[in-house]
Amino acid sequence: MPAIHIQNLNKSYSHKISALKNVSFDVAEGEVFGVVGPDGAGKSTLFNILTTLILPDSGEISVLHKDIIKDYLEIRKSIGYLPGTFSLYPDLTVEENLIFFATMYKSRIKDNMSLIRPIWQQLLPFKNRYAGKLSGGMKQKLALCCALIHKPSLLFLDEPTTGVDPVSRKEFWEILGSIKQQNITVIVSTPYMDEATLCDRIALFKDGSIVTMDTPQQIIQNFAGTLYTLRTSNIFNLLNIMKHFSCNCTFYPYGENLHIIFYENTSTALPQFENFLKENHQSYDHLTQITPTIEDCFIELTSQKIAL
Amino acid sequence: MRIILILIKKEFLQVFRNSLLWKILVLAPLAEFLLFPFTADYEIKNVNIAFIDHDKSSMTADIISKFGASPYFINHGILSSRKEAEKEMKRDNIDFIIEFPTDFEKDIVTQEQTVIGITANAINTVKAGLGTEYVQNVLGNYFMEISDENPVLSEQTQLLTTNVYWYNEQMNYKNLIVPGILIILVTLIGAYVTALNIVREKEIGTIEQINVTPIKKWQFLLGKMIPFWILGMVEFIVGLVIMYLVFGISIQGSIPLLLAMTAVYLLVMLGLGFFISSVASNQLQAMFIVFFLFILFVMLSGVFTPIEGMPEWATYINYFNPMSFFMVIVKTIILKGSGFESIQEQFIALATMAVILNTAALLSYRDKAK
Repeated sequence: MPAIHIQNLNKSYSHKISALKNVSFDVAEGEVFGVVGPDGAGKSTLFNILTTLILPDSGEISVLHKDIIKDYLEIRKSIGYLPGTFSLYPDLTVEENLIFFATMYKSRIKDNMSLIRPIWQQLLPFKNRYAGKLSGGMKQKLALCCALIHKPSLLFLDEPTTGVDPVSRKEFWEILGSIKQQNITVIVSTPYMDEATLCDRIALFKDGSIVTMDTPQQIIQNFAGTLYTLRTSNIFNLLNIMKHFSCNCTFYPYGENLHIIFYENTSTALPQFENFLKENHQSYDHLTQITPTIEDCFIELTSQKIAL
Repeated sequence: MRIILILIKKEFLQVFRNSLLWKILVLAPLAEFLLFPFTADYEIKNVNIAFIDHDKSSMTADIISKFGASPYFINHGILSSRKEAEKEMKRDNIDFIIEFPTDFEKDIVTQEQTVIGITANAINTVKAGLGTEYVQNVLGNYFMEISDENPVLSEQTQLLTTNVYWYNEQMNYKNLIVPGILIILVTLIGAYVTALNIVREKEIGTIEQINVTPIKKWQFLLGKMIPFWILGMVEFIVGLVIMYLVFGISIQGSIPLLLAMTAVYLLVMLGLGFFISSVASNQLQAMFIVFFLFILFVMLSGVFTPIEGMPEWATYINYFNPMSFFMVIVKTIILKGSGFESIQEQFIALATMAVILNTAALLSYRDKAK
């Protein structure tokens, strides 16, 4: 039995803006499932529905084998939720917040201390500080403690690393790894594609629909074209010129580099491309083939291919 | 039970840590309480009065000197003409003009009909109204005196009525204003603070975090109401002590009865605050809704203006005005000292409102959105 079962979920807000369109997927027990997509893809709406905060328009949805509409109070007992924005009491101390949320679930801090100990150790020096005065990373750690203190069997993390520094982000994902070992199913959303590879399975969302869903490795394997990267001194200039290059390919800036996906045989396309760059007096180096990242896959799957 | 206790504890911690809220809850009421009764004093002193005397008899001179002796009037003396008097009034130097006709004394003595012209500057309606009463008083006293000396005049003096104000014999406005302000303060704590507090939880997102916990709606409601109910009661009791110590108003009736009624009234206001908080989505909206209702309640409640002077339709609106019922209860217990029998109706009205508003609040509070 899956921890989450979603069949044909639809949700639209007023003015017929569809937030979620015919979404169906299952999350297995003990899995770290990633919901990956840019802002506005419908990630938060999905989380709000699964955590029983808002009602879906239609669809068959069960969380921990319980119906999200009929048994919502039952579901609330055994899930933990870390919302996208910091939602603890800023004027209560770190310790008071933890005690407060533990009590809401009729449990005590010491009951499940073993579960949160590694994170709690880091918070201990600040336990008498007001939660509102913590740094971004510390706030998220406290919020995670509060979401875990009743030992939920299912944990929802809505963009837990947005606005958190890279070091803390890495740390946060290490913590998630240890949570998984406690047999807690984790469903996590993120706009950062690099984090997606850390999940067991991911669903790529765009405009309220699932673009693809699989293990990160499988998604990368299914990449449809051949990906090349090149470095240039003036990426803006190059992008402008590339508009005049016609091929069965997709190109986009990737950091300071240009990525180009060829959908045709590169033995002819690549020399054509190099020629084009030469004709337009573009200096470049490191034109090499690379394995795509999840971000490349996302772009490949969502961009309209330029037809010849 | 443990859940409700920690909700209450959390609320108190937050109130005591919020330095601004603290000031609002303690200093603002104190300031209002100590300032308002002195400024909202309807007793008028320093009424500027001037005379136009066409008679120039010993009687008119006598009357004018009476006005000079009264502590309420400042005598600006006799003016030569109507025109000059009006000019002075336009400049706001004079509030009242008293005009004696020719042959005033002769007409009085011969019992002919005669008229004293009283012109009041009605820019300040309260001053004009009360001033007229004072003028009549001074004139009445004068004619009472001379009729004692001259029995022939007794008939005339009977026409001048004197009023005695019951329960507030010196017509001391502090007796009315002080309990009124006490009521306003309790209302503010009940409705304003509660509504803003809950809406703030919506704004900072903590309500979402609460909603995903298995806590029940009524637990959340109680956890919010009990702390503010306690704060309201404490504030009311402090107000009563100040009322006694500073203004010397003692409670004529039963104190436990008064506190019990306040407890019920606070329930009405807490329910209202809670209901508003479920309608409003941010503090600004909540503030405007409470502000609108608050002004409506105060203006119709009879705290500042007598209900008897309002048109009939306004009295119907007052059936839905908890403040007006509570005002009657407070006045009745504090000033009259009556028992429960005389405020039964008001109690039933308040209790009904408390039940309706709190039920509505409980039903409209959503731990789940569409």
